[in-house]
Parts: sequence; C-alpha cells; structure tokens
Amino acid sequence: MPRAGWLGLLVVALAVAPLALPPFFLQLLTEIAIVGLFATAFNLLMGFGGMVSFGHAAYFALGAYAPALLVKRAGLPMLLALPAAPLAAAAGALLFGFFIVRLSHTYFAMLSLAFAQIVFTVIFKWKALTGGDDGLLDVWPPAALKSPAAYYYFTLAVVGLSLLALRLIVDSPFGYALRSVRENPRRARFIGIDVRRHQLVAFVISGAFSGVAGGLFAFYNGSVFPDFAYFTKSFEPLVVALLGGVQSFYGPLAGAFGFKILEWLVSRQWPVYWPLFLGSIVIVVIVVLPYGFVGLAGGRPWRTRPAAKA
Amino acid sequence: MSGLSVGMFLFLVSVGMSLIFGVTRIVNLAHGSFYMVGAYLMVTLVEVLPDRPWAFWVALLLAPLGVAMLGGVIEIGLLRLIYRRDPLMQLILTFGLILVIGTLVLLAWGPDNKSVPRPAALAGSVRVFGQPFPSYYVLVLGLAPLVALALWLVFYRTRWGMLIRAATVDREMLGALGVNVAALYTQVFVFGSALAGLGGALAAPTVAVALGMDGDVLTTAFVVVVIGGLGSFAGSFISALLVGLLQSFGILVFPAVSIVLLFAIMAVVLIVRPWGLLGRPEQ
Repeated sequence: MPRAGWLGLLVVALAVAPLALPPFFLQLLTEIAIVGLFATAFNLLMGFGGMVSFGHAAYFALGAYAPALLVKRAGLPMLLALPAAPLAAAAGALLFGFFIVRLSHTYFAMLSLAFAQIVFTVIFKWKALTGGDDGLLDVWPPAALKSPAAYYYFTLAVVGLSLLALRLIVDSPFGYALRSVRENPRRARFIGIDVRRHQLVAFVISGAFSGVAGGLFAFYNGSVFPDFAYFTKSFEPLVVALLGGVQSFYGPLAGAFGFKILEWLVSRQWPVYWPLFLGSIVIVVIVVLPYGFVGLAGGRPWRTRPAAKA
Repeated sequence: MSGLSVGMFLFLVSVGMSLIFGVTRIVNLAHGSFYMVGAYLMVTLVEVLPDRPWAFWVALLLAPLGVAMLGGVIEIGLLRLIYRRDPLMQLILTFGLILVIGTLVLLAWGPDNKSVPRPAALAGSVRVFGQPFPSYYVLVLGLAPLVALALWLVFYRTRWGMLIRAATVDREMLGALGVNVAALYTQVFVFGSALAGLGGALAAPTVAVALGMDGDVLTTAFVVVVIGGLGSFAGSFISALLVGLLQSFGILVFPAVSIVLLFAIMAVVLIVRPWGLLGRPEQ
C-alpha cells in the first residue's frame, strides 16, 4: 500500500476510535498524542539539528503553566488561554536558547539542564503565583470539551496541525540548512549559513511546540505541578525519541506509542517496577540497539554526530 | 559551620564525579545514586553490626566499599561497552542507571525514611564561639582537610595519581605508552564511586536517608563540578565549599532565591567559562 494509503487508514482509525474504544483507551491515546508531539518537537533539535537538550521539561512546563495561570488567575476561558502556551514556551526558549546555542556537545546539554532547573525552582518556590508544590488544580477545559472523546478529538486536531507544521519546517529550506549544520557546522558556515541563528530558531520552534504539548497536557490532566519542569521529565522526550529512532521524523511518534503502551502494561501490574523497567530499556537500547526500534526495522543508522561546534 | 560540613559531603561526591569525567569523559549522572546507596548501606550496617563503639567506624569503612563494588560491576558490565560512543548516549545510559538504582533501593529498603544514629561519642554538641555546634559536624570538618590531603597525596605523589592526571590530559598517548587504560578506567570509576559512597555514609547521620536524596545531591554536585571545572580536583574542592556555604547562608538570608542563585551562577560560569573556574578547555 502506498504511504498516503497508510496515512489515510491511520486517520480513519483514529477518527472512529471513540466509537469502538472505552474512555480509558481514549485517554491513553490522548496522552500518546501529547507525548508524541513533545518528543517530535524535541527531535527537531536532536534528530535534525544535532543538539541534545537535557532541559526540555522547562518549555513543556512553561506551556502548561502559562494557560493554567491565565485560567486560574485571570479567569480566561481555555480556548483563549491555550495560545499562551506556545508563546510563553517560545519566549523562554528564546531567552535561554540565546545562551545555550553558544555552547556545544556536553556543555549544551548541561546548560539546558541548568536553565530547566531554574524554571523548576522558580515554579516550586513562587507559591503566591504558581501554588508551589501543591500546583494549580481545577484547570479544566470548557464543558463541550470535557468528555474524553471530545478532548481526544481536540488534542488530535491540535497535535495533527502541529505535526504538519513541524513536517513543513523539516522539509523547508530552513530544515535542510539545519541538517547541514548538524552534519558539519564549519562547512555550513562556509557556504553562508548563520549557524547560531539557525540553531536558535530551531531551539525556539522546538520549545514552542513543546509548550503546545504542555498546554494540552495541563487541560487533559486538569492540574499542573512543578514536576512538569523537573529533570526527570526532560528525559521523557529523549527516551521516547531514542526508542522510536531519532533519524526519522515519525520515529518519536512510534516511540511515544510504544512508550505509553508499555508504561500502561507495566504500571498496571507492577507500578513500583516501572522506573526499573524504563531504566533497563534505556540501557539495553543504548548498548544493543543504537538505532532505536525503528532502526531495527531498517531505518537509517543514527550518526553519532553530537551537537554542532560552531 | 554547617555550610562547611555540607560542602564536605558535596566535595566527596563531586570530586569523584569530576575524577570520573576527567579520565573516562563520562558525566556520571548516577553519581547521586551512589551517594544514596552509600547512605542506605550505612543504615543497614549500623543496624546489623553489634552495638559497640567501633561499629560505626567499621560501617563507615564498609559502606564505601560496597558502593565501590557496585561501581565496579557497572563499569565492567556496561560502561566498557560504550566508551567509544557519542557522549550523549553515555549520559543517557547513566540516567537509565538512576532509574534502575532508585527502584532497587526502594525495593530493598522500602519507601520510609531512615535515620542513622550518631555514634555515642559524638552525639552531643560542643560550643564554638559560644554557639552550640553538633560534635558530629566537628568530626566531618576535621575529616575534610584529611580527605582532601589524602586525595592530593594520591593524585600528586603516587604513580597511580600520575597516571590519572596523565589520562585527563591525553588518554590515547597514555595508551600508546603502554599503560593499560581500560584497567585505569575501571580503577578510577571504582575509586570515584567509593568517594560518593563515603560522602553518603558520612552524611547519613546528619540527614533523613530518603529516596529523593539521589536527585538532590546530583543536581547540587553537578553545579559544583561545573563551576569548579570538570576534571579539576582543586576546582571541586573550592567550589564545593562555596556552594555549601552559599546554600546554608542563602537559605538564611534569602530563602526563596538561594537555589535559583546557585543555578544562575552555574549558568553564568557555563556561558563565560564553559570548562569551569579551574578546568581546562577542551581542544
């Protein structure tokens, strides 16, 4: 079957899913879509830009807190508040990314982690605004979107549009310039590409879409917590992208699917063992399957080209 | 004063982390987990050993040894396979270790907080400048220069220390000169793990031994190592004291921003001197 056929089949299957599946599975699918978007946004940096961020939870959290605060503190309805998610996340990504893209390799990862910890600490400590450890509760979508099926369709639409936008970005001249920066920053500079600006723009785009994922999750979850910005959260898109394969655009989506299903299967039986399981999988994937599971199915090998050195 | 003690624990953890990075080029995110395992081993050892004055000191010796063994198993079983790989993959692998070790500790010791009694001789407090000060902290503060001195002697006055310093400068050349670099990696990793274990074992009587302590100490040690310079011994020492003091005084003076301040300093250091205050830039 041609590719368009598969895609069409997938769309139809997702569209009719609410008719066949109980609400629990719709929620699972909603979560998969959100995590998939988060990981795909993250992978714009890792897979296409060769930059590995260890602090993407910061942008997810900014995207979750900004609309949640607007709803809670300013009384805005959800649909008006949600656009604040990508805006806040992009603003944060621009501010931090300006410094982060100046570094390379391990230091890039470490500075992104440091900024994410700052975001976490600010959220955690600023009790008056963010509620601190208690988070913000009762952040629900309007009645029309409150049922699992309605919110599922809403998420699917937003995630679908976001993925389309990301796909267009990856296939645009900018996307190809970004790949050249990943492959060889020095040569990219020689042919007239402003390496740092491309990296920063990619960082901001990636942050913005991570924010969309955060915003969708806030209203799905009905509450937001400082954990959203904690460093363990930053590893979620990394692990998901790694599981799915980072060299393909759809790898992280497949990874999100596998990750969430696995989490559900394992946590249902032995909730305590889930981190053990996840950690072991990560270790095994790195040692045995450097190309991710999609790589196992014949994808291109993941080139060990770390973050660009300008 | 308690800031200096905190700085001491931090120093032990971060010097091990820094050492491991200097030689093997792996940023060991599981180093906080080693610290945690050291503290939990201390809990068990103090319980198991007979209730004698020497028990505490034996436990203080055995706990780091246990952590050293754990480090050895991890180095030989896992890290050896990935030294040639992308540094970021190594980072992710050690993150996987955090999850695995964290769960294993939960399974072995349960979810409740534990505490380790201070040895009877050091249970009281002494007066320092008229202020009551727990005797145990005096011990920690007394040990600090001793440990630092011992490490300095190891690094600068033994052949093994010379090899380690050589490895931080140029590993390939060292290998070409006929040194068994693979064995050196293992030794360094084991040694660094033992230091983290010692830090955890020493800290155990001063804190609640709990499951979250791996992440807490990791983030702080990470800041210490980055500020001091990855791979720099003196840098870790100075920056550990600095961070320890900053943390205790910061909490008194401006509680809300002390941790933000810590990370802000780290971010500034990373931007201005990514290799740290006393580190060496990578070529």
